[in-house]
Amino acid sequence: MSETGTTSSETDDGQSEQPSFDDDGTEPTQPAGPGSSQTVGAETDERTRAEWVEYDFEGDPKLAVEDLDVYYGDDHALQGVSMDIPEESVTALIGPSGCGKSTFLRCLNRMNDRIKAAEIDGSVELDGEEIYQDRVDLVELRKRVGMVFQAPNPFPKSIRDNIAYGPRKHGDLRTGLVARLLGRDDAEEEDALVERSLKQAAIWDEVEDRLDDNALGLSGGQQQRLCIARCLAVGPEVILMDEPASALDPIATSKIEDLIEELSEDYTVVVVTHNMQQAARISDQTAVFLTGGELVEYDDTDKIFENPESQRVEDYITGKFG
Amino acid sequence: MSLGTETTDTDRTESDRGDGLVGGDSSGRELAGGLLVAASAAALLGGFLTLLMFVPVSTTVMGVRVGTFLGGMLALAGAGTMAVGVASVVGAPADRPRHSGGLVDAAVFGLAWFVAGGLLAAYPLGLGTLWPAVALVTGIGATALALLAREDVGVTLPGGALVLLSGGLVATGVVGPGWTWSPSSFSATVTPTTAVPVILIVVGLLAGWITARIYGGFGAKGRQAGAYLLVGATAAGMLAFLGLLVSFIVVRGFGPMTDGIEFGLFWGPVTWFHLPVLDEWLIIEGPIVWFYWPFVMEGYGLTTPANGIYPAIVGTVWLVAGAVTLAVPLGVGAAVFLTEYAEQGRFTFLVETATNGLWSTPSIVYGLFGLAFFVPRLGNTNSLLAGQLVLGFMLLPLVVITSRESLKSVPDEYRDASAALGVSKWETIKSVVLPAAMPGVITGVILGVGRIAGETAPILLVMVSEPFPTEAPTFVDGGFRFIGSAPFVAGPELDLVQSSSALPYQLYAVITAGLQENIEFAWATALVLLLVVMSFYAIGIASRIYFRRKLTA
Repeated sequence: MSETGTTSSETDDGQSEQPSFDDDGTEPTQPAGPGSSQTVGAETDERTRAEWVEYDFEGDPKLAVEDLDVYYGDDHALQGVSMDIPEESVTALIGPSGCGKSTFLRCLNRMNDRIKAAEIDGSVELDGEEIYQDRVDLVELRKRVGMVFQAPNPFPKSIRDNIAYGPRKHGDLRTGLVARLLGRDDAEEEDALVERSLKQAAIWDEVEDRLDDNALGLSGGQQQRLCIARCLAVGPEVILMDEPASALDPIATSKIEDLIEELSEDYTVVVVTHNMQQAARISDQTAVFLTGGELVEYDDTDKIFENPESQRVEDYITGKFG
Repeated sequence: MSLGTETTDTDRTESDRGDGLVGGDSSGRELAGGLLVAASAAALLGGFLTLLMFVPVSTTVMGVRVGTFLGGMLALAGAGTMAVGVASVVGAPADRPRHSGGLVDAAVFGLAWFVAGGLLAAYPLGLGTLWPAVALVTGIGATALALLAREDVGVTLPGGALVLLSGGLVATGVVGPGWTWSPSSFSATVTPTTAVPVILIVVGLLAGWITARIYGGFGAKGRQAGAYLLVGATAAGMLAFLGLLVSFIVVRGFGPMTDGIEFGLFWGPVTWFHLPVLDEWLIIEGPIVWFYWPFVMEGYGLTTPANGIYPAIVGTVWLVAGAVTLAVPLGVGAAVFLTEYAEQGRFTFLVETATNGLWSTPSIVYGLFGLAFFVPRLGNTNSLLAGQLVLGFMLLPLVVITSRESLKSVPDEYRDASAALGVSKWETIKSVVLPAAMPGVITGVILGVGRIAGETAPILLVMVSEPFPTEAPTFVDGGFRFIGSAPFVAGPELDLVQSSSALPYQLYAVITAGLQENIEFAWATALVLLLVVMSFYAIGIASRIYFRRKLTA
């Protein structure tokens, strides 16, 4: 099972004062102001223990992360994180802003490769296969590990085109002019795929009659479910969600939460959230990241929320800081 | 304490305080300000009308000399402004004046009085070389007044005095019939025909600004009203100038352009073909619309029934089409490389700077390059192809610049979303980024086409051979047809290496040939050029609407 690489965070006060990058890796934020010196003291006194991040479960891990370090230039955004993510479950990543949870998430399908300043060190295995090695097919990786972003980002195309975009580009659907002329048109398969994906994302009833309308005309919550449907259409095994409901109102949020729970029956869902109640409601296991890009505790969601080992995690969950 | 008393209390406090939420009675001030604005606007409008000679200054309308009337309006505005200023000192203070006019007022009035003082000293008072001293004294005086006095006084007194003085000079005829001024350092003689409109426009704008501030009651509201008037006047002036330009060309060119148009409907042979079996010709007759527009359907020559510019129209259309075909793929490709692939840094900065420089390069330089480089390599003759290449390279920088801007404005979320679905970079660019950037690219092409369609210099050097072509060259000969030998199919022959004319050059040729007998031909050519450019715009705007609609609906 897993083992933390850097178990000890030899932290001093200087570490907590150094600016760290926000989730998108661009905005430096001040983790703790001088007003919260007491909690900062409490936070830095404690040493992280290896057993806190050991989480035992049955079966092989879907994703196994070992000693993952990420640097944005001089900034050490993620410090030796190791964790195993079980299959067909919801794993929640929680923690204050700038603690590296989004960075961690983006490492799982190598979206951090798109940030030039990011330097990634360590190992991530998908079904026992290392994704950080040469000759890894990013197209295949991202087909298997899909992603949903914080802000809904549908393409300025029709709802149907949004869903069919991925499969068309991967050549799974042939709908071009040549295919149509040769009679090898996959229009029926496309219709079936669009319907299946939209139904899975619980949005079919709302958009059934207007599949050819522009997706930007949908409401924010509908757009986010459309983005989930678009991700499902590619046929992923793992779905990464980066605060998928933080830009939505409570009703849309609850729809997304229900959807996540349904999806966990067939998919491995990893979800970053700021909302601790949300993590408690939807996740099977929870990982807590704290300031400095350090994974402090990872266990069953009930265990984390009811009886955490770490004092810092308890303080964070009960709202004493963060 | 009951609710009723509370309300009364509040009411009383508000009406008692001068700067309460509900201001005091301002109808009198607004009426005075409105009348003064109207007087200034009349002077300003009159200034434009006299400048354009619609109503010359020296004429008399209904017994009043135009100059006297407009100058009187200005003087009225000035006097009224000063009266408001005096009134606010004496006992009826304005709403919410600031304690000082501020830097802008100081600069405007200082400069205005510097100029006015200098002019007065130099000409009517005849102080000769003393004028800089007088100018400085008046300028500093006005600046000091605007800076040190409360706003309502500091604005109205120096401003009103200047307006009154200028209006008075015009109204009393001091600057009027018989007045001339020949400054020694200026080779032209200033006459009332130009001096009076210039005074009316400049001082009228100043008066409008001041009186609008009176109307708004000084302070923030006054400045808002003043700025509103200035911005409105600028916009109106610009639109009026555009309208004037277009209507000028249309009015002068429409008659000669449409001269001799004939059309009608008659019965005639619509089509005919040879029946092989019967060995006879079958002729099908039907109604035919007959339309003849000599100016745009004929060339220029002795044998044609009328002189026209058909060859030049054909040349311009071919020229623009060729240049766009060359520049758009190259430019968009370069922009995609620079924005999506190249690492942003010194290299892209250098390319960007060079591109901007190329866009500002004078067209005659491009023309000379084309003459020295393309013409010897393309049959050593002036040709349409050389013109298309030169104008295509002229258009290229603008296409690169605008395409880059619109590619940069495509949100990164689209690229992220596509990458997260495992779609490769090129597929993303092709299916998401470029469609989203398309409206911006087309806007750039529209702007560029407007410039190259009107270029004369490069065409003159690389494309034309005769100034007044009789017939348009045949660039495409024949269509697709079957022939008797292998490969049994023949396509149209495209021959672009022929000299051709184009509309701007045609206009230039008419002008250099002497305008006396050709003036109507020139205006008609200008109008046709305007219409051709407009129709290119129409195509561009229609395609922009099409692409934008694809993104939003």
